[in-house]
Amino acid sequence: MRSIPHFHNRPFRSVIMFMIFFFLLLVSKLIELQMVKGDYYRELSSKNHIRLIAKPAPRGIIRDRNGVVLADNAPAFTVSLVSVEFDSTNTMLLSDLLKMDIVELNSRLAAANNTPFRSTEIISGLTVQEAGRVADNLYRLGGVSVDVVPRRRYSFGTSFCHLIGYVGLADSTRVFEGELSGRTGLERILNDRLTGEYGLIREVVDAHGRVVEKFEEGDIEPSPGENITLTLDSRLQLVSDSLIRATGHQGAVVALNYETGEILVLSSVPGYDTNLFIGGISIKNWEAILNDPGKPLLNRSWATPYPPGSTYKIVSAAWLLEAGIVTENTMPDPCYRTFHFAGSDFRCWGTHGRQNIVGALTQSCDTYFYRTSMLGDMDEMAEFSRGYGMGAPVTDILPGEASGALPTRELLNTVFGQGGWGLGNLMIASIGQGEVLATPIQMAVTAAIIASGGSLPQLSVLKTDSYNDGNWNPGTSENTYRIIRQGMKLAVSSSVGTVHRSMGYLPVQVFAKSGTAENGDNEDHAWVNGYIQEPAPIAFAVIIENGGSGGSVAGPVAAGLIEAILESYHETQ
Amino acid sequence: MRPNEKTDWFFIVSLVLLVILGLINMYSASGSQKSLFTHQLVFVAIGIIVFLGAANFPLRLLEETAPFLYVFSLILLILTIFFGSGPAGRWLQIGPLNLQASEIAKFTLIVLSSRWLPALKRESITGGVSLFLFTSGILVVLTMLQPDLGTASSMLMLLFGMIYWAGFGFSWIFLFLSPIFAALSSIKFTSWIGFVVVLCWILYRSAAKPRKWVFFLVLTSVIAAATPAAWGLLRPYQQARLTTFLNPEADPYGAGWNVIQSSVAIGSGGIIGQGFLKGSQNELAFLPARHTDFVFSVWAEEWGFLGSLFLLSLYGILIWRILLGAKRSINPFNSMLGAGTAFFLMIHVIVNTGMTLGMMPVTGLPLPLITYGGSHLITEMLLLGFSYNTIRNWRSY
Repeated sequence: MRSIPHFHNRPFRSVIMFMIFFFLLLVSKLIELQMVKGDYYRELSSKNHIRLIAKPAPRGIIRDRNGVVLADNAPAFTVSLVSVEFDSTNTMLLSDLLKMDIVELNSRLAAANNTPFRSTEIISGLTVQEAGRVADNLYRLGGVSVDVVPRRRYSFGTSFCHLIGYVGLADSTRVFEGELSGRTGLERILNDRLTGEYGLIREVVDAHGRVVEKFEEGDIEPSPGENITLTLDSRLQLVSDSLIRATGHQGAVVALNYETGEILVLSSVPGYDTNLFIGGISIKNWEAILNDPGKPLLNRSWATPYPPGSTYKIVSAAWLLEAGIVTENTMPDPCYRTFHFAGSDFRCWGTHGRQNIVGALTQSCDTYFYRTSMLGDMDEMAEFSRGYGMGAPVTDILPGEASGALPTRELLNTVFGQGGWGLGNLMIASIGQGEVLATPIQMAVTAAIIASGGSLPQLSVLKTDSYNDGNWNPGTSENTYRIIRQGMKLAVSSSVGTVHRSMGYLPVQVFAKSGTAENGDNEDHAWVNGYIQEPAPIAFAVIIENGGSGGSVAGPVAAGLIEAILESYHETQ
Repeated sequence: MRPNEKTDWFFIVSLVLLVILGLINMYSASGSQKSLFTHQLVFVAIGIIVFLGAANFPLRLLEETAPFLYVFSLILLILTIFFGSGPAGRWLQIGPLNLQASEIAKFTLIVLSSRWLPALKRESITGGVSLFLFTSGILVVLTMLQPDLGTASSMLMLLFGMIYWAGFGFSWIFLFLSPIFAALSSIKFTSWIGFVVVLCWILYRSAAKPRKWVFFLVLTSVIAAATPAAWGLLRPYQQARLTTFLNPEADPYGAGWNVIQSSVAIGSGGIIGQGFLKGSQNELAFLPARHTDFVFSVWAEEWGFLGSLFLLSLYGILIWRILLGAKRSINPFNSMLGAGTAFFLMIHVIVNTGMTLGMMPVTGLPLPLITYGGSHLITEMLLLGFSYNTIRNWRSY
């Protein structure tokens, strides 16, 4: 016989006591609910009118870097309804009082019936007078209530329409119909942070929907959403908008601080007033926006790629130097305005003679770039340009940021087929035409990288306390930066520089490069990008769609922006 | 190995009554969806077959299958994490079957600890207990990742019940759990003081070495200090997201709406109840999840205090009979298996009814034998079958 295995005394008694203790706890709660308060609860359940009313939380306020409010909340009146308590024979009456079409009202009542025991918003954004008509008749409208709720308000709706966006009715409601959520821009991207926590009121109501008493467990106050401060400067943004408008064209301006990575201006003209979208945009207004020939829905500062034209030369020049194709002293054959190569004519905009790379940047000589880039490799130039922020989005937050494009063998083989393209494509690309496409924010980044000498921090639109340095280092040598900077400096200060006439008068040294980008059969796009060191480290890019010459059309816009920056610093000192 | 005990009528009668009451209640709770009731009838029929099979299954063979069960559960749990379906992604769909892997994991946990814990108690192996806690802890963590914090914590409670029954003592369990207690107690200063007092008392009673004192006091102090700081670093929406992730039933926006409706339903039952099919909260569909999580509220509304007391007593009798068998069993595996079933029932009854009464957090734990659903009912019938087996075979070793 096997020996009986040793097993200690099992804790039978304590486990039974444990169970009895908890069962007694449960029974005592049952006694409380069913015997002590049984009548109260039976009363409640016979009517079952504990009503939950959600109190919307105010959305977080969005401010610019100087504390100027860009989006906040204004009080507005709403009419809400608890579906099970509403007598449908009152639909006509309610329709009259709200001056709302009966079909429209019926569809909203049907929506309210999805959450039959909870208060559901029927209409919002009423004036005191409109809400007052309903409020006066509440006694015969069981289940209907009039409330004040926070309503989104945009201070510069048109100017920040693409960045901040707007709110609309949420697609899927968590608590009640009529809940808001961000539909576009930062309102959508930062929705979780901007949305607060809904508060709740519990009420016991009678069969007519009148409040008999507050439920004993009390209310939960709404907690407002997080306030958000942007790095943008609303004053500079508004100035940029009006400068673009003054040219009579559509366009965009981007400015950023290249020591902190903070984006200061993201202007895109024309815009649309986001306040029109609050509470649902009318069909008339929506069609007006859709049919506007200026295409206000198009966001030009970061979502639209354009041929960058000669502004790209600051990148291709850096590539020529870094790839060892040219040095500072290399003087290729002269520019005779037209360069014949392989049976084609490659045109320059002027006759520049023999010059080095600084001169080629100063006067924006295309021939210099044709004659030198043909010695290089297309894929290497594309790869080099990627280091300067081209060919991919430059931020991780701006919604729908465009990548732009860079010509590679692979791309050209896809577009033109094997052998359908040649060295000419590389030569054209080196002056920012052909297959090169970039957004204004990318062209501002290229200038910022040259300005910062390869230590541009990660770009941001949200103000924080700390910045990480040097995230954007293409590995270019300091000597190359110096040469490009010299070319950009002389483009402004030399009397033959392309932006001398529009920007040379400014009291601070400006470093800039203009661009006049050919655009099919349409008028050229006018570009300028560049930077200043004083009074603040700011890089910028301007595009005026179909504006013509970069130096004479985009240049004055950039100059106006710099004047506004100087004014800001003058005021603060 | 022939059964050497007469039929345990206490066990059989209370089990049969519970199953019948469950069906009666399901008929009422299913409201207009009578298909729920017919499904439940099928589940009960399968459950009875499973019970009879388990009651006559050789327990030694079960003991041998523990490692296979473990691997099987692991596979099911991992599959659920990646391919889970259903409202919270906790069901595993295999052909026409919707399986809740966590129910099988609970069963595995009981068999696993029944096999290993007595052995470890008898002859301790270096690192043996840690190894056991690690292997069984994987089951708990995988369940938590489903995500199902409620079931995971019930598995943890089950595990510590088993450790206690195996004779490892309370202080050991407390010290093991002390980091969790420290984090929880840090919410309030007074509760933290209470925790420290209990910790010191247990360390004193177990005659701990100074090294152990320092280790536990420093560890728990650091955790208690870090928890509020770590929580505070999160933004409110992150906190909300975390709590909703860990416990989707918490209903952070409805703020206790379900529990309030449940309290109204239970309270309106009064002493004798509103009567079968007459519960207004239930019949008017005010009660949320009334055939699943809040099934007890339906019963309490329609049958009142007396009915609720009767139901709890049936559970009490069942647990008492199983524990008695576990106490008597000579074979440690049999004893542990029975005790595990008793703990399983106890935890589920207390947590589920406590939730409907507003005394416990809202989790998805079912009420044994009553809540709608096949996975848990069949698991329970399986466990009850094995424990009836241990009751009748208490003399075997």
